[in-house]
Amino acid sequence: MDILEEITKIIAEILDIEGREITPETYLIRELGAESIDLLELSVAINARFQIEVNDDELFLRTMRFHLRTAAAEGKDAVGYLAGKYPALTVARVAEILADMGGGPVLRVKDIISYIARHGQK
Amino acid sequence: MILSFHGKKALVLGGSCDLALTLAVAMMETGIFPLLTFRSEEGREKIAARLSPLGGSYGACYLDFGDRDSLASLLAQGGGDIDYVVDFAQGDFEGYVAAADEARVYQYFNDNVSFRAELLKKVARIMLKRKKGRFVFISSVAAGRTNPGQGFYAAAKLASEALYRNLGLELGRKGITAVTLRPGYIRAGRGKAYLDAHGEDALRLVPTGRFLTGNEVAEVILFLLSESAAGFNATELTMDSGQTAYK
Repeated sequence: MDILEEITKIIAEILDIEGREITPETYLIRELGAESIDLLELSVAINARFQIEVNDDELFLRTMRFHLRTAAAEGKDAVGYLAGKYPALTVARVAEILADMGGGPVLRVKDIISYIARHGQK
Repeated sequence: MILSFHGKKALVLGGSCDLALTLAVAMMETGIFPLLTFRSEEGREKIAARLSPLGGSYGACYLDFGDRDSLASLLAQGGGDIDYVVDFAQGDFEGYVAAADEARVYQYFNDNVSFRAELLKKVARIMLKRKKGRFVFISSVAAGRTNPGQGFYAAAKLASEALYRNLGLELGRKGITAVTLRPGYIRAGRGKAYLDAHGEDALRLVPTGRFLTGNEVAEVILFLLSESAAGFNATELTMDSGQTAYK
């Protein structure tokens, strides 16, 4: 079973949305309505299933606006700064996120997959 | 009432205090496996002296609040299947707010509040995997009504109560609940020395005219762990025989 298939199953179970289409592009909060408690449960499930230590802030891109303010205050390039803070994301994905922030929470299923892939599937 | 505990495992923090040991005996009698924590050799010996002769099953593990390595070790050894947490742990700190050593204040809150927050996070995440768990925090009436010199003790208790309250608030929907018990005077543990010295004065403040016993408090804790008590969530219960109702 690949990560997408596994993570889709976990998300569907936590959000009680079995049968609904979930793709790498699906937004967890914006489209699926995931709440803080659901994300906590997702983090615990990822830890249990993939045997990786999970940093919730990094996994769920929680402190992004704080990092953006810091980058601006320090006169640093936002894309490069965020890519350093979220090493699981590619520079292209960070740029995509920055362009998308006006539409609401940016977290997509592919970000979760990237995090798991980076921290090692066992 | 649903008081079925067979096969459950309880992590008892501050497990070498008199009240924790009384509770551990009651747990073993009801089929709960208590895993008691100690922070000194004296504590380990106290647990062994009280529980070993009973012949039942229990565990004892080193945990020093403030020592994060000891927490990691505890959870690696015995953290896989915790059903209950009963938390008696609390460091001593008596001193006037205007006189306390600052370094000691920082250390005290690190050990008794920040460390507890880390422990609760880690144990709650273990419980979340099974969507079931119960926390009982043993606070004190002193959290709400202090004597001079108890400010730091009360502040740490109140902060810890808030952590437990929010745990129950945030995770109740996921099957994990928490409640705080505030016992009044008990002639046990750190209360015994005080009551031995000030017993008559203290007794005048208790409407029932007697102090609580360790067994009474242990029985209430067992009830609070039961399915029947799950409705007591994200709240604080006072068990002081009416002491704090006085004007």
